[in-house]
Amino acid sequence: MSAHAHAHAHPASPPSQARALRHRKSVENLSTAQLKALRDSYAAAEALTDDRGFGHWAGIHGLPLPMYCQHGTRLFLPWHRAYLYFFELALRDLVPDAVLAWWDWTSAGSHANGIPAAFADAQVGNNPNPLYQTTVPPAARQNNQPQETSRSPGSPGDLPTRPQVQSVLSLPDFLDFQGQLEQIHNSVHVWVGGTMGEIPWAAYDPIFFAHHTMIDRLWRLWQIRHPNPHLPSSLLNQALPPFPMTVAQTLDIKGLGYAYAAATAHAVVAH
Amino acid sequence: MATTLDLPRPPQVSPDDFSRADLEFRGVDHSGPSYEARVYLNNPKADGETGRAEDTGYAGSFYVFGHGGCFGEAGHCDVPEGPHSPFDRRLPHQLTPQFRTVVITDALRRLMRSDQGATFTATVVPVVRENPASLVRDVADPLQFESVSLITYEDPSAAGIPLP
Repeated sequence: MSAHAHAHAHPASPPSQARALRHRKSVENLSTAQLKALRDSYAAAEALTDDRGFGHWAGIHGLPLPMYCQHGTRLFLPWHRAYLYFFELALRDLVPDAVLAWWDWTSAGSHANGIPAAFADAQVGNNPNPLYQTTVPPAARQNNQPQETSRSPGSPGDLPTRPQVQSVLSLPDFLDFQGQLEQIHNSVHVWVGGTMGEIPWAAYDPIFFAHHTMIDRLWRLWQIRHPNPHLPSSLLNQALPPFPMTVAQTLDIKGLGYAYAAATAHAVVAH
Repeated sequence: MATTLDLPRPPQVSPDDFSRADLEFRGVDHSGPSYEARVYLNNPKADGETGRAEDTGYAGSFYVFGHGGCFGEAGHCDVPEGPHSPFDRRLPHQLTPQFRTVVITDALRRLMRSDQGATFTATVVPVVRENPASLVRDVADPLQFESVSLITYEDPSAAGIPLP
């Protein structure tokens, strides 16, 4: 390598990476460029009202009917993994460097401050923060609901703890693990409150996807600990509407083109 | 409104004979508001102010992520009754009552060591947080379920939700 190679300061991702894995990271560990790419992708999606737009993707989970999300069923984790996968691709169609980030509600920062600043700050500079609030489209609103999303978070100390998560990760049976993890998931929806607090509108809050990326990451950590779980064939072959994917096709996240990383940084060679 | 049920003490079982104890709730309704359901052992007077301290008999919680009402036309939210046809590949109705497990191992052991009664009570207290965004108002009793079972496991890997 040339001695004259120069490292650029943390670009969001390396160029020409169509075949590279994308690495999801904690929102607390995003570089400035990575957070900007995520914000820009949300802003671009929120500006669209067609089937590339944020409202379309949020509506797949909840209102307007039909509601496709799976809760309290054997499909909870696989369905939401497929959902994040297609949503992330949609964001990357708009901003190629965008990658979903997880909200670690067990972190010291979350237990001190609650919702991370990336999602809690109403403004970024002089502009609205697209990760703070979105508009719920008229077709999804009922009975003169406000059009802007809102939150009413609980006490930060009431968020799930690392020992709780470790206990769930130790469960060897997939369905048992999934059921217990879904309870932790539910508790965070209740904790955030407001739009996140009920199924029909939860996905209109931008933090929904950071919450579910955390859930998906925990499933991945469980998969690493329990590499050969028994999943019945009736479950593996189950489709995940509206996504063209079965449960079996959700199991290998590298096959879906992503992985979870503590942090990433890249350098490019200057010519 | 809290619901209190009598459960028999596990027969011929000492606190050291099981590695995990579950309360399994079946038929949990989730059509209304979201809430936390706190479970207390041998504390039938528990209410939303009781808290989660060990000496209250608090054993654990399950959380209902609610649908917040029905948003279809008449009949849209009626859950089909009867057995599911093997030729019906549709996914279950969104409001199909759910299954919840609360792991109560430590709380049950404490109770069994301090109380030798033939039965004990499980009191389930729904705690609904104020949510200005919710359309569901003044629900008298969001907590609705069909039954609860106590399962003590020698082998915790046997735990899990039942297959259909």
